Amino acid sequence: MNILLVEDDLELARSVSDYFREHGITVHHRADGVDGLSSACESDYQVIILDRMLPRLDGLNFVRKLREKAVATPVIYLTTMGGIDDRVQGLEAGGDDYLVKPFAFAELLARVRVLSRRPGHSQEPATRLSVGSIELDLLKRTVVRAGKDIELLPQEFRLLEYFVRNPDRVLTRRMLLENVWGIHFDPQTSVVESHISRLRGKVNHGFEFDVIQTVRGTGYKFLAPN
Amino acid sequence: MRPTRVFKTESFRSAALFATLFLILSWVLLGVVYWIVNNTQTAALVEAIDADISTIKNGYRGEGLPEAIEVIHQRLGSGKYSGEDLPGGYIVIRDEATAKYEGNLELQEFRLGLFSVPAPRSQKHRHRVTVLGRGVYIADGIYLFVGRDTSQIRATRVRIIQAFAWIEGVSIVLAGLGGIFFSVQFMRRIDAIARTCQSIIAGKFTDRIPLRGSGDELDTLSVAINNMLDRISTLLDNLRQVSSDVAHDLRTPLTHLRNRLEEARQKSVTTDDYAAVVSHAIGDTDHLLVIFSALLRISQIESGSRLAAFSTLSLTDILERIYDMYGPVAEDEHHVLQHDIQKDVRIRGDGELLTQMFSNLIENAIRHTPSGTRILIRLAVSGNTVAASVEDNGPGIPLGEYDKVFRRFYRLTSSRSTPGYGLGLALVAAIANLHNAKIELSDNRPGLRCVISFDYPSGSA
Repeated sequence: MNILLVEDDLELARSVSDYFREHGITVHHRADGVDGLSSACESDYQVIILDRMLPRLDGLNFVRKLREKAVATPVIYLTTMGGIDDRVQGLEAGGDDYLVKPFAFAELLARVRVLSRRPGHSQEPATRLSVGSIELDLLKRTVVRAGKDIELLPQEFRLLEYFVRNPDRVLTRRMLLENVWGIHFDPQTSVVESHISRLRGKVNHGFEFDVIQTVRGTGYKFLAPN
Repeated sequence: MRPTRVFKTESFRSAALFATLFLILSWVLLGVVYWIVNNTQTAALVEAIDADISTIKNGYRGEGLPEAIEVIHQRLGSGKYSGEDLPGGYIVIRDEATAKYEGNLELQEFRLGLFSVPAPRSQKHRHRVTVLGRGVYIADGIYLFVGRDTSQIRATRVRIIQAFAWIEGVSIVLAGLGGIFFSVQFMRRIDAIARTCQSIIAGKFTDRIPLRGSGDELDTLSVAINNMLDRISTLLDNLRQVSSDVAHDLRTPLTHLRNRLEEARQKSVTTDDYAAVVSHAIGDTDHLLVIFSALLRISQIESGSRLAAFSTLSLTDILERIYDMYGPVAEDEHHVLQHDIQKDVRIRGDGELLTQMFSNLIENAIRHTPSGTRILIRLAVSGNTVAASVEDNGPGIPLGEYDKVFRRFYRLTSSRSTPGYGLGLALVAAIANLHNAKIELSDNRPGLRCVISFDYPSGSA
């Protein structure tokens, strides 16, 4: 995988590059907005990691210009601007994800991996999703695993849907909270854990293979059942 | 107080303006008085002249020229008549046929009608006096001129102008002095305000503007400024309190972190020892970061910048989603989460913040109560109030703590053992404030009831 990191903090850029390289991802680093934008337009990257406060061209205008030039590469902001409005602004400008500094490397890696397989913006809304023997009907909100109907509550269905859309990828607790429940704060109780354990119970009931793997200290991973 | 400043004040300027207006008006009045007096006096003079003319004319008609001359001598008190019957009176008669000339004035030309001629020089008048008179023919070839000197009129004119000059002079001096007086008074009070401001800038925050107690506009202004200063100083005190709380509450986890690292340096031997310390240290750092972001979020909410993002939203949906979200959590903690949520309750607000507010309340109820506690989420509209509440039948909190729990970093003694930061309810208070909602804690007998009342937008029912 090939990603572009536009970040003027060289220390941070170095650690991110090292961490990603260890996980088999090549990182091209640019230290200012203008250089970053020309690289983003010339080469084909799977994901762009973008600081918001950059010399010469700030992150928001970077994304606006990128989208004007019809480059659909997913963009994740990596920024200290953690206000509610800041996040909304960033996504409205055309960004795809928003991660506030300071952050855990594993969190950034998980998000980059999820973004890298997103097939651009022109995805046609599917009405059915299927991975391995699990099949979701998004209109009827029904789930079938190996021919067996599984009854889920609405929030459990949304959780499973997010897993099925991102199989074989680590999904962190924060990603689940943001994408399934739409909340951007840290709950002080085990919201994610409680829901996962119920979903696990229902989806795995009568089967041997656990489709939701716990990745210690990071999050969960959905594995397609046979 | 520099003298030039005195003339620059508003009170001095208005005094000067009014003095100028007064002067202009008094000039107009002077003109009118001057004109009226002048006209009246001249008219009286002309009347006397005409009376003399008709007397002399009658004399002439009766007994001819000698009789007319006799009458003239009588009037003037000249010839065989002594005394001054007619001070300042001048009469001339001339027979054109015989060129006989009688009278007390040398006329150069014999004009008809009213005209003025210079009076003969005399010791009586310092100024050159003019004589106003009328020339007529009382018969063929008999020319008569009767006149009066105008020194009376002139004297009256001078007296009027002098009187006005005095009045105006005194007014200008009074206006000037008054202007300076009020100006100095005004500047004293302005200087008092400026001094207070200076001393506050210099750091004496307790200084206030002295009041005169007269209730005038400067007093009103001073009261407003003093009230503003009181408010600012309360806010400053709060801020100081918060900053020192922050410093203090961050010191504790930082101390833990430091001790842990120091201990590791001394005691750790194996890589596993170090790994354990490092993962603890990361946990401590995360703890600090959570405190930071909670504080930032509170101050961001308090700044009111989120008001712009308010929209009409369904509080029913938000609470139902929260119920679905926390149902399993409560169950895992062996609590009973119930709800009694009225349908289609819509208010204006920020969905994300409202979600966080109610989540915090429910999490508090879950975390600070023993197993088996019943927690109820309730939403009901009554009149024009929307009351959303979280109630439990747990141990509750002591009455005296009701107000304190909303302060930053405040933690009940009973909950110090549970992990937490003491910021959850401070955030709840900030969000409720932003929504202009009232928070009320009360005894649920047993347990705690927290009611948040919003204004119900009229017309949306």
